Amino acid sequence: MDGGWKTDDGIQMVDGDNFRPKCIYVAVMMRRIMDAILNKDAMDDKDYVGNKRLELSGQLISLLFEDLFKSMTTEVKNLTDKMLDKPDKARNFDMSTNIITLGLERTLSTGNFEIKRFRMERKGMTQVLQRLSFIGAMGHMTRVSPQFEKSRKVSGPRALQPSQWGMLCPCDTPEGEACGLVKNLALMTHVTTDEEEGPLISMCYLLGVEDLELLSAEELHTPDSFLVIFNGLILGKHRKPLRFAAAIRKLRRDGKIGEFVSVYVNEKQHCVYLASDGGRVCRPLVIADKGISRIKQHHMKELVDGVRTFDDFLRDGLLEYLDVNEENNALIALYEGDATSETTHIEIEPFTILGVIAGLIPYPHHNQSPRNTYQCAMGKQAMGNIAYNQLRRMDSLLYLLVYPQRPLLTTKTIELVGYDKLGAGQNATVAVMSYSGYDIEDAIVMNKASLDRGFGRCIVMKKYSAVIQKHSNDTSDRILRPNRTADTAGRMQILDDDGIAAPGEILKPFDIYVNKQSPIDTRTPKSGSAANLPDSAYRSNAQSFKGHGGEVIDRVVLCSDKDKNMCIKFLIRHTRRPELGDKFSSRHGQKGVCGTIVQQEDFPFSEKGICPDLIMNPHGFPSRMTVGKMIELLGGKAGVSCGRFHYGSAFGERSGHADKVEAISETLVSKGFNYSGKDFIYSGITGCPLQAYIFMGPIYYQKLKHMVLDKMHARGSGPRVMLTRQPTEGRARNGGLRVGEMERDCLIAYGASMLIYERLMLSSDPFEVQVCTACGLLGYYNHKLKTGICSSCKNGDNISTMKLPYACKLMIQELQSMNIVPRLKLADA
Amino acid sequence: MPEGDVSMAEESNNGSGLDYIMSLEDVPSKLPPHLELFKTRVLCNNDAPVHTETIQYSGAYATLGVDNSVRLDNFCENFKVEVKRLTDSDMEFDLIGIDPAIANAFRRILISEVPTMAIERVYIANNTSVVQDEVLSHRLGLVPIRADPRLFEYPENAGDDKNEKNTIVFKLHARCRVGQPRITVKSDKLKWLPNGSELPCEDVRSNAGSKPKTFTSFTCSQDSLPEFSGNSISVTYPDIILAKLGPGQEIELEAHAVKGIGRTHAKWSPVATAWYRMLPEVVLLEDVVDEVADELKNKCPANVFDIEDFGKGNRRATVARPRDCTLCRECIRGGKEWEDRVSLRRVKHHCIFTIESTGALPPEVLFTEAVKILEDKCERVITELS
Amino acid sequence: MEIGSYSDQSKSTFCLVDEDHTFANSVRFALNQDPRVTFCGYSIPHPSVTQVNIRVQTTGDPAKEVMKDGCQDLMRMCQHIRSSFTDAFIDFKRTKTDTKQDMDTK
Repeated sequence: MDGGWKTDDGIQMVDGDNFRPKCIYVAVMMRRIMDAILNKDAMDDKDYVGNKRLELSGQLISLLFEDLFKSMTTEVKNLTDKMLDKPDKARNFDMSTNIITLGLERTLSTGNFEIKRFRMERKGMTQVLQRLSFIGAMGHMTRVSPQFEKSRKVSGPRALQPSQWGMLCPCDTPEGEACGLVKNLALMTHVTTDEEEGPLISMCYLLGVEDLELLSAEELHTPDSFLVIFNGLILGKHRKPLRFAAAIRKLRRDGKIGEFVSVYVNEKQHCVYLASDGGRVCRPLVIADKGISRIKQHHMKELVDGVRTFDDFLRDGLLEYLDVNEENNALIALYEGDATSETTHIEIEPFTILGVIAGLIPYPHHNQSPRNTYQCAMGKQAMGNIAYNQLRRMDSLLYLLVYPQRPLLTTKTIELVGYDKLGAGQNATVAVMSYSGYDIEDAIVMNKASLDRGFGRCIVMKKYSAVIQKHSNDTSDRILRPNRTADTAGRMQILDDDGIAAPGEILKPFDIYVNKQSPIDTRTPKSGSAANLPDSAYRSNAQSFKGHGGEVIDRVVLCSDKDKNMCIKFLIRHTRRPELGDKFSSRHGQKGVCGTIVQQEDFPFSEKGICPDLIMNPHGFPSRMTVGKMIELLGGKAGVSCGRFHYGSAFGERSGHADKVEAISETLVSKGFNYSGKDFIYSGITGCPLQAYIFMGPIYYQKLKHMVLDKMHARGSGPRVMLTRQPTEGRARNGGLRVGEMERDCLIAYGASMLIYERLMLSSDPFEVQVCTACGLLGYYNHKLKTGICSSCKNGDNISTMKLPYACKLMIQELQSMNIVPRLKLADA
Repeated sequence: MPEGDVSMAEESNNGSGLDYIMSLEDVPSKLPPHLELFKTRVLCNNDAPVHTETIQYSGAYATLGVDNSVRLDNFCENFKVEVKRLTDSDMEFDLIGIDPAIANAFRRILISEVPTMAIERVYIANNTSVVQDEVLSHRLGLVPIRADPRLFEYPENAGDDKNEKNTIVFKLHARCRVGQPRITVKSDKLKWLPNGSELPCEDVRSNAGSKPKTFTSFTCSQDSLPEFSGNSISVTYPDIILAKLGPGQEIELEAHAVKGIGRTHAKWSPVATAWYRMLPEVVLLEDVVDEVADELKNKCPANVFDIEDFGKGNRRATVARPRDCTLCRECIRGGKEWEDRVSLRRVKHHCIFTIESTGALPPEVLFTEAVKILEDKCERVITELS
Repeated sequence: MEIGSYSDQSKSTFCLVDEDHTFANSVRFALNQDPRVTFCGYSIPHPSVTQVNIRVQTTGDPAKEVMKDGCQDLMRMCQHIRSSFTDAFIDFKRTKTDTKQDMDTK
């Protein structure tokens, strides 16, 4: 094996004095450059998925470890050198600097990779797994983040690449700045890991690869001999590349070499590429011999019976993994019926080109494409089940649905990922009609009786914690038994005798949930036992609850935190029924807020007595073109009436994974409904029939985590910022509502000067100042003399009093401190 | 039309103007057939139903000289009720000669204003199950209770006092012992406590010796009251799943049911649903014979049509069961010719009313109660106005 | 509450609290059937306020009286409906038990 070896960067290295392989490598590079100059088509596409590698955690951590290990060895060497310089060499030698442990811990907890040797500095490399919803967690685990910055204005890397077919989901990408850069893996994608190269290289030589060093110039340039490149390294030449590739593939199918090794014959470049490196994306395909699938009926029966598994299929050479490059050598038929004699592979199922999250959408192939992308972003915010252990977890924030349901219209992906068991939504009977005018702009009208019966009811669990701090002077916080007779007793009703709130208690605002006290003095060391401090040495540090009221303490956990302090964690549960302004969404990127809640008797009803759970405005359809939602409604309606879950897998009509509209219509007709799903509806208000047939049926609706209760905010008077004396900002600080620049512009244009005056000064930060009309500087008010005095004129002769915003006074003084003197010139109005 | 103008003018002069006009010879006393059709029928065309509104205004056809007002005796003469189906909980009956506005009022009252008893307050002594307290309470609230609400008072009238006149107390105690398989707690575990609450109020535990104060103050046992001596109070359905208990889990609680109406919360609604539909009418506009007749018969999933054989192999389609029509519009699907052949209609003043009771009261009582409530409303307004 | 004018009592709006479509729609029907009424309609000014405004205009009679008569009519109608319903129900019960007995005897 004297082809040379390569560095981590894949550059040919020189073995001893032999520069020949390197020369050849450089020459090939030159040739490729010249090719590219002469012919633009020969350029490599850097957005091509086959030219990309994903970095997995193992790779990154090994890199990190290597760096840390090397810095540790140098550190140890330095220490040893220092030690050897010292006269008393017998001292014990301590090398427990923990560089590796600390380095790994720091990197994993902050997510900042800093590897100096490779000048790698990346942020956000570790992320906390999203646990807000089951599907959110699944989506997070299939996410692929780019490593280059998002601000670059190029469309290439963001565009949909044809080569990502089957590997990366075409729908699932965020909106906004990361659009198209952050991707998600498709359903069956596998990311390869590194495989040992040595045996593969020697096998290549055995299969007839000729080492370049042994070839003459004439042999090197034989017209139909191909260059063999293995993981970016030139191995040699082969005279019969196709036979070579076929041999490798045969070995792979027989399981003699790893199933993720890929061979790819590039006719244009006269090269055979072999790859066994990690980070390539690949996917399984059914092997077809001359267009005849290797998987036969009896195989499938065995699979259904559970005698064989997917891995058996792979081992028996019925399936194989192809990476993006090797797909170029294959002719893949979408269905078995489409295969011709040239076909080499058959797709397993077309819906697998979508990812986990896009797979939840029923009939996505009938929707306008951006709608599926919107749904992918929204599905992660849907409330429902998180995991089977959801009620035993202690998440800092958890959203659950009280009665989650399984979608009536499922897809194969839903069954494969288990969304039918951990659903996040409910099947609502939807009538598509306009009602009451409170349904404009995608708002939905909800049936009060449905809400009474538990539709959209959710549980929000929040974690609060209290730490019993140990202080530097050996004193520590303490928890006291509540004093039932003190004036705070009313706020301490929920406390147990141990001073900690009991599970099951209902909280009111400002209730104390842990009766904690802290020592007043935490610095000066105490003589004697720290436990025997008098009560007067403590001040109350009780934590009170700031919520809406009606929350319940779900669980209390006592544990110790990383500094060995006792830590009390409270999980507080709040059950909410939907209210005006809560956000809902179907599975088609059609979100809307609840516009009004209407009594059941006002709701329309059908001839069968069916009353919808919610009403959706029909204007949501024409511009969105979410035909999939309409088919979902039809399929759901047929599903409830015939008692069979209907399917709507992507592109599934041909393979039977999606029910056809014709079949659905037939079911509907046989159950006495109109074929189009439109019912004869009576108005609940007048009692007369409506003048149109109404499209009505069940649609799976998700409740999104955005709820008004968490967002609503208004303020009359409240806290102010110390520095400027203006109202605070933001809901969390009970802040004011800002009259901003544009609002001010409107008021100016309208001429409402007194309103501006009121909003910008009187309601904000009015302040009375003493201004010296002689020098124009601010003075002060002398309470003894009861006059204003100008400190620069040293008298109070020309003082007049006026009102200013405090921020203005502040600015004047700040400017003065910088040696700029603003002077106020007053004139009578 | 001149008649109309005259009638309007005359009417304002003397009240009997219309009668005078009507007595004239050349004034039509009946509407022309097409208007009569539009007035009494909803035409369910393939694209949309038309003439869905009822013509209520008395002077709607004044220009034609037809009086559209309905006098009370007139109404009483024409009104008819036919009961079609009756079980303990379900009932279907026809209201013939009624305006949908009135039928709808009954439907609305049934859903939202006929009172029932439902669990409103739940005192949980112990709940170690996976079902959260408030979710369990919500589930309990929706359990229908077999108790005649007419025998109880609204709790608002009694202030804070919870006595035998306004509260029904149930007890639920279920436990799954360690080492046993999971159990399902069903609604039959709710046991009626005729003597009121057994849970002591927590804040009043001082005066020992005397009976501990509970959450209710019953003066006597509900058992001893004559109303309940015959039929004891219980839940309607014993098999409603309330919770599931794993080994070692336990639920102990007391549930207080009070009287309320469905408008406040759906749990007080006495009906699962109540609705009406207008009587279907299917009319063959032309003779449908032979193959077309077969096709028509096979088209209908509700089997509305029959084939009549009148000798020599001649067949004709007839409308045999128009009442079964679900308005799937299959028979008028498939082109203009079908729409010309069959006309689907609804009779506006004939309501097929269905009541599905939750079990507190039988459906027939519910309906009479609903009618009474509408009467009370009228009475209230009359007294308010005078 | 009634809102109208003293000079012309034939036009009035009646504001009823704690009522909804149930009563307003049926009384609208009853009033519209009355030949003295030229106009009757109702509105619910805001969905979160339980109030209906019923507008009645008559050919000359005081709107209040006409309104009262309308309510009276509606009430009588209800009474008739109730009695005929009870009759029909008893009838149905009897025929049902009769047929049942017939079945039993057979």
